[in-house]
Amino acid sequence: MLVFNQLETYLYLALLLFAIGLYGVLARRSLIAILISVELILNAASINFMAFNRFLAPHPAVGQVITLFIMAVAAAEAAIALSIIVAVYRKLKSINIEHATELRG
Amino acid sequence: MGPCDPNFLSCFLIVALPLLSFAVIMIFTWRRHRLSLAISLTCSTIPLILAWSLFFRLKDTVTLAKPIVTQVNWLVSDAVIVPFGFLLDPVSLLMLGIVATISWLIQIYSIGYMEGDPGFARFYADLSLFGMSMLSLVSASGMLQLFISWELVGLASYLLIGFWYEKFSASEAGKKAFVVTRFGDIGFFMGLVFLTFFMKDINIFGLGIFDINNAALTKKLTEAQFTLCALLIFCGVAGKSAQFPIHVWLPDAMEGPTPVSALLHSATMVAAGVYLITRLFPFFAASATAMTVVLVISTITLLLSSTIGMVAKDIKQVWAYSTVSQLGFMAMGLSAAALGGSTLFAGYYHLTTHAAFKALLFLCAGVFIHHFGTNDFFVMSKDGGRKLAIPMVTVTIGALALAGIFPFAGFFSKEAILAQLWHLPNKLWVGLGLFGAFLTAYYTFRVIFVMLFPRKDDDPVWQEYYVREEGGHGHGAHDDDHGHGGHHGVPWVMSFPLIVLAAFTLVLGFLQTPLEKFLLGESHPHEMNYVLLFSAVGCALGGIGVAWLDWGSANARWQGFIRKVPALENFFIQKWYMDHFWRWFLNTFIYGTFSRIFTYNDRRVVDGGVDAVAFSTIGSGRLLSFIQTAFVQLNLLFMVLVLAGVGLYLLMGR
Repeated sequence: MLVFNQLETYLYLALLLFAIGLYGVLARRSLIAILISVELILNAASINFMAFNRFLAPHPAVGQVITLFIMAVAAAEAAIALSIIVAVYRKLKSINIEHATELRG
Repeated sequence: MGPCDPNFLSCFLIVALPLLSFAVIMIFTWRRHRLSLAISLTCSTIPLILAWSLFFRLKDTVTLAKPIVTQVNWLVSDAVIVPFGFLLDPVSLLMLGIVATISWLIQIYSIGYMEGDPGFARFYADLSLFGMSMLSLVSASGMLQLFISWELVGLASYLLIGFWYEKFSASEAGKKAFVVTRFGDIGFFMGLVFLTFFMKDINIFGLGIFDINNAALTKKLTEAQFTLCALLIFCGVAGKSAQFPIHVWLPDAMEGPTPVSALLHSATMVAAGVYLITRLFPFFAASATAMTVVLVISTITLLLSSTIGMVAKDIKQVWAYSTVSQLGFMAMGLSAAALGGSTLFAGYYHLTTHAAFKALLFLCAGVFIHHFGTNDFFVMSKDGGRKLAIPMVTVTIGALALAGIFPFAGFFSKEAILAQLWHLPNKLWVGLGLFGAFLTAYYTFRVIFVMLFPRKDDDPVWQEYYVREEGGHGHGAHDDDHGHGGHHGVPWVMSFPLIVLAAFTLVLGFLQTPLEKFLLGESHPHEMNYVLLFSAVGCALGGIGVAWLDWGSANARWQGFIRKVPALENFFIQKWYMDHFWRWFLNTFIYGTFSRIFTYNDRRVVDGGVDAVAFSTIGSGRLLSFIQTAFVQLNLLFMVLVLAGVGLYLLMGR
């Protein structure tokens, strides 16, 4: 069980989540998928905070506070992003990001 | 000496009440004429009572050397403290009383004069503002406060001169007065700045009148520094008091309602300039060069304006030019006193008496204008001007005082000034002063004789008049279009101030000794200078005599003696071409040079610069617009790659 009591494990987990999220943001064409991927990235950050807090921080609550903040921000961000997606859908009848080309230079 | 000091409270009320009245009328009651009148009158009566009670309470305790200064801190910001307070010495006490009295009388008078005017309430608000600013100018303890009130006086006069702003000439006149006096005020302010710069240990906010005079008495600055500052400050004086090169606004200021002219010409606005010289008399006296310049300019002013007064046909123009000349006379008296090492009494005394009789003359003119609906005293004469008994008697009293005839006030004060001029080593000045007195008597009695001895319509002299009319000059057409034309009697509100002022004119002359004692603390015994006395009276009587021959007697031709020299007459009618000069000056230097340069600068540099920024922004936007590929994820990829690069650099690059 030693592996669960190590900092590195959690950092690798967070790295994995972050990489998946980044890939999703860059590669998926659906706006909903991108939104989910952003949430993954945020969660990766949360895990990092919790891990560092658990293993390195002198005070046990600092990282948890940040994580709570991230959760609140993520909720707000999800609400806003969903409303933007709805607006885009109404405008373009599509949530494929490749169709949003009106601002091409 | 804090805010609870009774002197401070009185002064504060004197200044604050008219301001309050202005604000209340302008904001709340401007639709309700009666109410506004009541407010304004209340707020000018209380200062009147307070001013005179201050005068009688303090008249034995204050002297010029030991004034009462009451100050509070107005603004405090670190080391910069702007005080607000009042300086009470004989000069300011007496002037407070005079200003309060004259503005009160004029408010009474205006009840009749402005009756039925749609701007009645606004008029009273502006009068209150005018009174407030002059009262605070008179009693100000510091130069900054004085300067603020000085500008407020300018603002109020602008509002009042352009009171009938629907009339183009009136709004133009207001603008001219404002701009021209501002032209002088630049000099004034620069003088103050230089003064504080030279005095080193004091900033402009804390610069008190007392400090300046003390600096002069203790020779804190060099002669050249005094001269520079005094001349610059005199620019402001010249603007306000309408001295020679920048006197041009004052005759145009006749566009305002006549009570305004009376106020403007007696106790406020133009008096402010001369008052400033008396206020800073030791300072001005410290520089002989500056005083000589003042003497020259005031002498030119005296002669210029009296000669123009000889040919004007508008009664208000005549009085306006006489004001200019009398102000020149005061400045002559003050500068001569400074050069001769004497006191400020003569000039200040003339300021006092002049305030009374000039207000009287203007208010009388106002009665005639109101009654006959014209400014032309020839027409007034034809329409029976002399039938208005009270104004005719009082205008004659005022004219006698202006001409300097015993026992009216002007006689004594002119005598005092001429005595100062007499003491100068160069007798040219007293000669010119006497000549000015002669001209003053002449043009004053030209008006009086024409009004007193009207001609019939078929009299040949009218041809002379119409010939001049066709000459197409002068301000004959500038009627106060306000006149009702109705031939009713003179209402008591208008005749009451006339009687009061006429009484002042009669009494003030005999108060010379007590006034001198009050002002200077001691009265110098007057050695009677009979040569001067007789020549002065001779000049005045001579002027009246010539006026009688030219305008009064039964076979007078209504031709001034100046008609013998047509070129000169035309020169005077064209007002010495001063208006032309300034027009030319404006066209050549201001519009032709500065405006052109500034226009070029504006078009090419300012506009061009803004345009260049705009165009280059657009251009570079075009250049870089290929970045906007509309592939959000491509952009994001770049972002991530760059961030990754930065991260790698930070981790390993060091």
